[in-house]
Amino acid sequence: MHVFRRAAVLLVLAATACSSIDSPGPSPLSAGPDNRPLRNGGELRVALSAEPDLLDPTLARTLVGRTVFNAICEKLYDVDEKLAVVPQLAAALPDVSADGKTVTVKLRSGLKFADGSTMDATAVKTSLDRHRTLKGSARTSELSSVDGVDVVDGSTVAIRLKAPFAPLAAVLADRAGMIMSPAALTAQGDKFATNPVCIGPYKFSSRVAQDRIEVVKDTNYYNAAKVHLDKVTYKIIAEPSTRFNNLRSGDVEILDAVAATDVDALKSDANLRLLTSASLGYQGITVNIANSSGVGQAPGTLAAPYAGPLSTDAKVRQAFELSIDREAINQVVFRGQFAPACGPISPDSQLSSDAAQACPKHDAAAAKNLLSQAGVTTPVKVGMVIGTDAQARRLGEAIQAQAREGGFEIELQPTEFSASLDQTDKGKFQLFQIGWSGRVDPDGNIANFLTTKGSQNISGYSNPEIDSLIAQARSTTDLAKRKDLYGQIITKARADASIIYLYRAKNLLGVSAKVGGVKLFGDGILRFGEAGFAVGS
Amino acid sequence: MWRYVLRRLIESAATFVLATIVVFIGVRALPGDPARALAGEESDPQALAEIRRAYGLDQSIVVQYIRYVGRAVQGDLGTSARTGLPVSQTIGHALPVTLQLSTFAIVVAVVIGLSTGIVASVRRRTTAEWAANTVALLGLSIPVFWFGQMVILLFAIAYPVLPASGFVSFFSNPVESLRHLLLPGMVLGSALAAVIMRQTRSAMLEALGSDYIRTARAKGLGAGQVVVGHALRNSLIVVTTIVGLQLGALISGVVVTEQIFVLPGFGKLIVDAVLTRDYPMIQGLVLVTATAYIVINLLVDLLYSVIDPRIRVGGAAL
Repeated sequence: MHVFRRAAVLLVLAATACSSIDSPGPSPLSAGPDNRPLRNGGELRVALSAEPDLLDPTLARTLVGRTVFNAICEKLYDVDEKLAVVPQLAAALPDVSADGKTVTVKLRSGLKFADGSTMDATAVKTSLDRHRTLKGSARTSELSSVDGVDVVDGSTVAIRLKAPFAPLAAVLADRAGMIMSPAALTAQGDKFATNPVCIGPYKFSSRVAQDRIEVVKDTNYYNAAKVHLDKVTYKIIAEPSTRFNNLRSGDVEILDAVAATDVDALKSDANLRLLTSASLGYQGITVNIANSSGVGQAPGTLAAPYAGPLSTDAKVRQAFELSIDREAINQVVFRGQFAPACGPISPDSQLSSDAAQACPKHDAAAAKNLLSQAGVTTPVKVGMVIGTDAQARRLGEAIQAQAREGGFEIELQPTEFSASLDQTDKGKFQLFQIGWSGRVDPDGNIANFLTTKGSQNISGYSNPEIDSLIAQARSTTDLAKRKDLYGQIITKARADASIIYLYRAKNLLGVSAKVGGVKLFGDGILRFGEAGFAVGS
Repeated sequence: MWRYVLRRLIESAATFVLATIVVFIGVRALPGDPARALAGEESDPQALAEIRRAYGLDQSIVVQYIRYVGRAVQGDLGTSARTGLPVSQTIGHALPVTLQLSTFAIVVAVVIGLSTGIVASVRRRTTAEWAANTVALLGLSIPVFWFGQMVILLFAIAYPVLPASGFVSFFSNPVESLRHLLLPGMVLGSALAAVIMRQTRSAMLEALGSDYIRTARAKGLGAGQVVVGHALRNSLIVVTTIVGLQLGALISGVVVTEQIFVLPGFGKLIVDAVLTRDYPMIQGLVLVTATAYIVINLLVDLLYSVIDPRIRVGGAAL
């Protein structure tokens, strides 16, 4: 078996997107890393922006739920501050066979679940099989490349693949790699989400729907000596200004998803500080090109009222992109907090390239010229589905104003989020402003959106050449080759413009100055394993 | 009497069945696919199909309804599609929060409304009346969501004397409970206080101009006895009726207040359930509300018939 450690690191890859501390003014944390000594004990209160769904790693689907899982359910692999995959419950990075179809995972020994039972290869097989096969599993597609899992010995499992799959280590560094206590799975059956039992610095304590989730320090945890806090309470506060007020008043110590408009106020408060990291995701506008009968169906011809020159002519879509001034949007709507984006891959990823980041400059005159070449009547009238919150409205209005200069007349269609997902899945839209939270491996940002049968290809976009390139990029573990392939994919996709990428948000975390040891990486997940209250606070 | 009771029970049962049908159809008439809402940003078609199967959404609406009612009559309201927790348990957590908040808000409203109303009626054309009228006007005009943010900024951030959010049960820690309820209770009670003030003032003015008040004064009663013992007592009938009528408005205010002060009550629960298309939770919430209305109406009607026998006689004759 060929040892493939280097490749495993390369599989994943993304590099410099680590957390940084913006200057909080006169706070003692204004410069350099936070190395203050932390005291043991205390309860950390965290305001989450949304209610996590089921606390079952197999069934969970929400981004916000991953933050709670980070405290209670460790994974075979994790990512470090540079977003490189590192072992967590595994003893080392995976060994991949020469044909790329067998991945061997060595496990750490002596680890105990929160219920005191021991983690071994059988427990790992039980969890991976459950992820793959349980009815309603949200992990099925992530692990669709896996053919089977074998127990080699007490501390080794072999994962058989249907075909080489480069992003596997990154997949196992997310919920698909979380290992659950087999004893708890047996005892609780389909109620596992009400009392999840895994391995983590904390263990599940209680949950009151729409209110709070409480986790307490787990003395069985292998690294319990480094855990300072007695308890972490996640409070659900959806409204951004209410969330911010709670941080300012001291009712919570951590604020997830600070609104860009609150950043200045947060920075000016000596009792608070801001942690930031570049997001792996993006926000953009999806154009309905050929989704005539629903996502997952064969591309077709759009009928009224969704048909129009934007769906039929790539030149018109390119003109639309040229009319958008991304930097102006960032300054006006997000007060310069975010970064313009022209493609699905984060510039911090090791798989990023000049081709992946190439970006057409805003040019309203060129946009009009393209429209003239396309022979369409201006202004081109088009409807755009947007969200209903204040930020979505501001963004929609900025795009509307810019596109007008380029020869487009946009009708904004504010739609409640659940309704908008349903409507756009069915192809009942022309433009849809939507984003993606991002994955460590760029495949997670690309394949489902740009392949003909992609589960999230609501555009109905189909380009056999891109389908083939994406399949190649998935199956090779050669970094340079993957980088080149993704560059080609993005260049071709940009010419077709089924998604017009707009900006890349930052993960913005508000933290009380009393708290130290909080980690925020590019994946946006909050890590409290080594967090605590500063001595003397 | 028993015929009347039986008739009202049958009517209530029919209303209950109608309510469940309306709720069931109404929830499904909401735009948006609940499976898609549950799937979050990951929308694998296979997973969507599994979600629909797991929650019976792939069945016809008639089958779904019969299954739901069958479980509901056994006290099983199902499990939340969002959290996996039992709906009845979640409602059981939320209901006491809303009841305590509403009770506190009513107390605040009655205390403020009555006292300012009395002052405004007794001290006519003085600064006191002007101040009371201004308070009432502000109470009626200021939106709850704005007022809520302002009191948080003032009492939780600028002068941090009260918590900005959270709930503590009155029965576990009365002092902490009151500290947590003071701001939301004040915000929620403000509009009701304004209504009570205006009604108290006008009823008191009418009473103070009546012959029996003049007689009381002529008999040499003190001002306090005249105002509280005679005028206020008679005015309270009107005020009590108005408070009862305003309770519906109070419930709608609860929805907003609970969001601002992060109180895990009924209002917050119903908003979040609608936004996430959590069908079992929405159905459970509306069913509990409808049941409460039906039971209260039934009890009130039966009570009327005990108090005034003409009601049951009239009912029986129809």
